[in-house]
Amino acid sequence: MTHRTTRPQPLDVPGILLALALSIVIVLPLLVVGVWAFTEIWRYPHVFPQQFGLRFWAQTLGRPDVWHALRLSLTLATVVTLASAIICLPAAYAFARMRFPGRDILFFSFLAGHAFPRFGLLMAIAAIFLQLDLIGTFWGVALIQLVNTLMFMIWIPVAAFQTVDRRMEEAARDVGAGPFRVFRSITLPQAASTIAAALLLTFVGTFYETEGAWLIGAPGIRTMPVLMISFINNQMVIQFGAVLSVMLWVPSFIALMFARKVIGGNAFAKGFGG
Amino acid sequence: MLGKASARGLVGLLLVALPVSLVGWLVIWPIISAVQRTVWRASPDGAGHFDLSSYVFFFSDAYSLNNLSLTLWTTSVCAALLLVVSLPIALYLRFARGRLASYVQALAILPMFVPSVILAYALIRVLGPNGLIDLLLNAAGLPKLRTPYLTPWGPVIGLVWDNIPLTVLILLSGLGAVGNSAIEAARDVGANRRQRLWHIILPQITTSILVALSFAVLGIFSAFTLPYLLGPASPEMMGPYMQRTFRDLNDPVGAVTQAVVTFGFCIVFGLFYVRSVARNQGK
Repeated sequence: MTHRTTRPQPLDVPGILLALALSIVIVLPLLVVGVWAFTEIWRYPHVFPQQFGLRFWAQTLGRPDVWHALRLSLTLATVVTLASAIICLPAAYAFARMRFPGRDILFFSFLAGHAFPRFGLLMAIAAIFLQLDLIGTFWGVALIQLVNTLMFMIWIPVAAFQTVDRRMEEAARDVGAGPFRVFRSITLPQAASTIAAALLLTFVGTFYETEGAWLIGAPGIRTMPVLMISFINNQMVIQFGAVLSVMLWVPSFIALMFARKVIGGNAFAKGFGG
Repeated sequence: MLGKASARGLVGLLLVALPVSLVGWLVIWPIISAVQRTVWRASPDGAGHFDLSSYVFFFSDAYSLNNLSLTLWTTSVCAALLLVVSLPIALYLRFARGRLASYVQALAILPMFVPSVILAYALIRVLGPNGLIDLLLNAAGLPKLRTPYLTPWGPVIGLVWDNIPLTVLILLSGLGAVGNSAIEAARDVGANRRQRLWHIILPQITTSILVALSFAVLGIFSAFTLPYLLGPASPEMMGPYMQRTFRDLNDPVGAVTQAVVTFGFCIVFGLFYVRSVARNQGK
């Protein structure tokens, strides 16, 4: 499309309209939350906050339930990410590189979870967990979050392993490298960045997972999003929710920066069937 | 003795055994068991019998039916709005280049990185009573907004917001397959913008539109967080209804019945979605 840029550009009216509309609809609500987090007094009908300050940061950070939830969410996200890496990465390698009976059917079985409305599926799982006494336990929540990460941690790494140049692997094997050596020195380094992005997205996705945590975990297991729900429902102090939102959004922002590479490509939308 | 090829095949099977059995245990088994436990009850004498009473209750209970119709209404309104909002964005992104286009793309994808709890909180602060819109209306001397918060429109706004990124991405990937040459040829023979959209572009992205809609329907039909936080307490959407039946009313059979009903309403979309993903992957 380089020849287009040489012509003088007419004013991009639809672009300006879209940019404006999206700025108002997407950015403004988030901005309001950001402002609330640093506001001490903002009473109706003042259009702008009357007093800014960090008083509510101190109060929010002084709450033991916030620290407890933060620690729990980080532990949970770490455990689920590690577990799905250990479970899924070898399998992804096998799907990408090996031939075995039933390979295609088994590969597409990971899609099964996506053919059903999500919360309905969680409900069906919860009914099983009820019999197994997993309701309200850490491992119950970890297992239900694993359901969300399984497909993602298989499909993205499979794509990553498939892009590794086979000829390089074969060349290494020709000069006498064993299969593990080939994997460690050739395959893994080339697939590493995509896999790292997948791991990061899994971690962040698990950190924010709300529905499974609420359905299986409440009231005993209170992750950050579950705590946030109770802040919203009880409406005690507006700023608590705002401060928590800003804190919660930090990992998301890091993920956004890292994931641009994975999501920018068409591959991501293709994975969703586009 | 095993041959080398079949030994390698065995290793492959062993490597995938764990995640595949997890899918079996945590996805496929719960679905089978959900259907089974809602149609088959154990009798006191130990034998089981066929029993559809929980479905009979669901489809004769006015409250359940209200919840179901609210869910159907919300899903169809959201799907229609999503298409109306996302198609222009995707069309613009397909043909535009430059910094403004990257800005529009970045904003259209941003909601993917905003957790629904934060979104719910933000929308309450903007659209809720005495929220930002009320402040601005009041400053302009206008009457207050009839707030959509805690009405059926609350979840609609939130769910559309939340689903814009994936809809745009799926449509955009479909538009990528529409060749420039076909569009330019149509322009050369005098087709105007609308004709080019209607006769050249839309027929080629019908599948993408259907995939995007299926994906949205599957997500919205049983949505929980946004309807729970932004929607009315009664009637409620299927997601909050199931959760309340399970946790507050302690009625797992009722909740699972509701889940199976949502499966039934979404099965067509689910199968279509899986088929197109599988096809795409096979290419």
